Amino acid sequence: MIEFQHVSKQYSSDAVALSDISLSIAKGELVFLAGPSGAGKSTLMKMIAAMERPTSGKLIVNGQDMAKLKPAGVPFLRRNMGLIFQQQKLLNDRSILANVMLPLLVVGAHKVAAEQRARAALDKVGLLDRAMARPLSLSGGEQQRVSIARAIVNRPQIILADEPTANLDRASANKVLDALKAFHSVGVTCLISSHDEQMLDAAARVIHLKNGQLVAIDKATEAPVFAPPDPDFAPKPGQHDVDAQGDEA
Amino acid sequence: MRGWFRQHRFALGSALIHLRKSPSGFLLNVVVVAIALSLPFAGLTMLDNVRPMSEQMSVDPEISVFMKINTPREQATSLAGEMRKIVHDAKAKIVFIPREDALESLKSKSGLADVLNTLGDNPLPDSYVLKLNAFNSATEAQDVDAVAEQLRQLPGVESAQVDSAWVKRLAALLGVLRLVLLLLAITLGVAVIAVVFNTIRLQVMTQRDEISISKLIGATDTFIHRPFYYTGALLGLCAGALALGAVALALQPLNTAIAEFARLYASEFQLVPLAPLPMAGLLAVSAGLGLIGAFLCVQRHLARVN
Repeated sequence: MIEFQHVSKQYSSDAVALSDISLSIAKGELVFLAGPSGAGKSTLMKMIAAMERPTSGKLIVNGQDMAKLKPAGVPFLRRNMGLIFQQQKLLNDRSILANVMLPLLVVGAHKVAAEQRARAALDKVGLLDRAMARPLSLSGGEQQRVSIARAIVNRPQIILADEPTANLDRASANKVLDALKAFHSVGVTCLISSHDEQMLDAAARVIHLKNGQLVAIDKATEAPVFAPPDPDFAPKPGQHDVDAQGDEA
Repeated sequence: MRGWFRQHRFALGSALIHLRKSPSGFLLNVVVVAIALSLPFAGLTMLDNVRPMSEQMSVDPEISVFMKINTPREQATSLAGEMRKIVHDAKAKIVFIPREDALESLKSKSGLADVLNTLGDNPLPDSYVLKLNAFNSATEAQDVDAVAEQLRQLPGVESAQVDSAWVKRLAALLGVLRLVLLLLAITLGVAVIAVVFNTIRLQVMTQRDEISISKLIGATDTFIHRPFYYTGALLGLCAGALALGAVALALQPLNTAIAEFARLYASEFQLVPLAPLPMAGLLAVSAGLGLIGAFLCVQRHLARVN
């Protein structure tokens, strides 16, 4: 599903973010990306989301060679991804329901259907009763759960969570992680970066980065257990290609 | 197709939501653009009112040849052939106007029927009207004067008068006014585009987060650009409507003043607003200018938002 082949990223002659990274992440896998600040975790995630391009090497995401991906193809690639950030990047001028509906409206979903689906996503992260609240009235952990709901509402194939539990207390961080694991359990490939060693899950593979280099890959001590697929949020391959037709012109 | 409409409805709704958030700013911009548009719109309305008058007047050279009052009808009518030889113009229209017809025409057009009836005898002579082809050069214009001079030499002719010189001057003046109006419209059109450009630029800045997030969740550039296009077009459209309304309102006091002036010339001339079709055209142009301003701004500024 995601394959790095000798990928490097250099911003300038003395700013090397990633150096000769080779790794692969299989479909449905739960992978943690560990390492201290400045290790290159965010850069690696940004490259998967086509926010950055490799300086050298080959990166394949969902069968797409990122070097050959044209700018017009980036939105369609991202529609199969759910992106979660340390700063939740929610729109504070509207309700959390409207925030979660946005990815659906972007792909041309009907407003009523989008609302129905967004409510279901908020229900999954335990925030349905706060649907009409504004993001700033929620705690940091709740805001992060809203961003998870927004990430999964479109049934993505991949979830990229960049330091989703940073700035959260342990209880909130656990809730966020549980929510992510719940969506992983229905077959979504999850890549979660964290510099918090306590967050790392023994049941997941952990990729360790340091100074832009891959230093170790810990294999999962046990195979991840998948819950019975949830028809509501299981990823559907290629679903957005059809929706996208109404988005041009 | 339904998805396409839904996307446009969403974009329009999104544009309206953002306008509703800062209505005073939008209204202020509408007023600024409307002021810029009202000048060319007013000029166009004036020209449109004057145009029918100038069209009624012939701009082709026209020579009126008046016979002596005692010239016999047979002699007068026999001059047509001579006149055609003098003008050297096979396409020239030579119309003989008997004095009786001239009197009837004067009675019906001038409203002086009663006065003319008291005169008893018809004071008007037989006459000819020679309609020549339009001047193509100053030399040709001088030729007309020479033709008039030769016509004056014909037997039984009292006078020959070149009628159309002042009409030509009026037509030239209207041409200059049209050109001035065009230049004014272009200048103010650029000003409108600049105002819309700046409005959209500010909106892009205030919606930076939303644009950035939309890109991250898979919005295409088209999806992100569309609400800004609608905003620009709406701004132009509202300003156009306001400018047309302002011009129509301004016609009322102008007409009061014009009515007094026109009465002195026994005329009922009044300025009227533009017809619905030209109005719709101007609204479309206004919306188009807004769209151009939005397009230029979006192309320049949105690509920078990541």
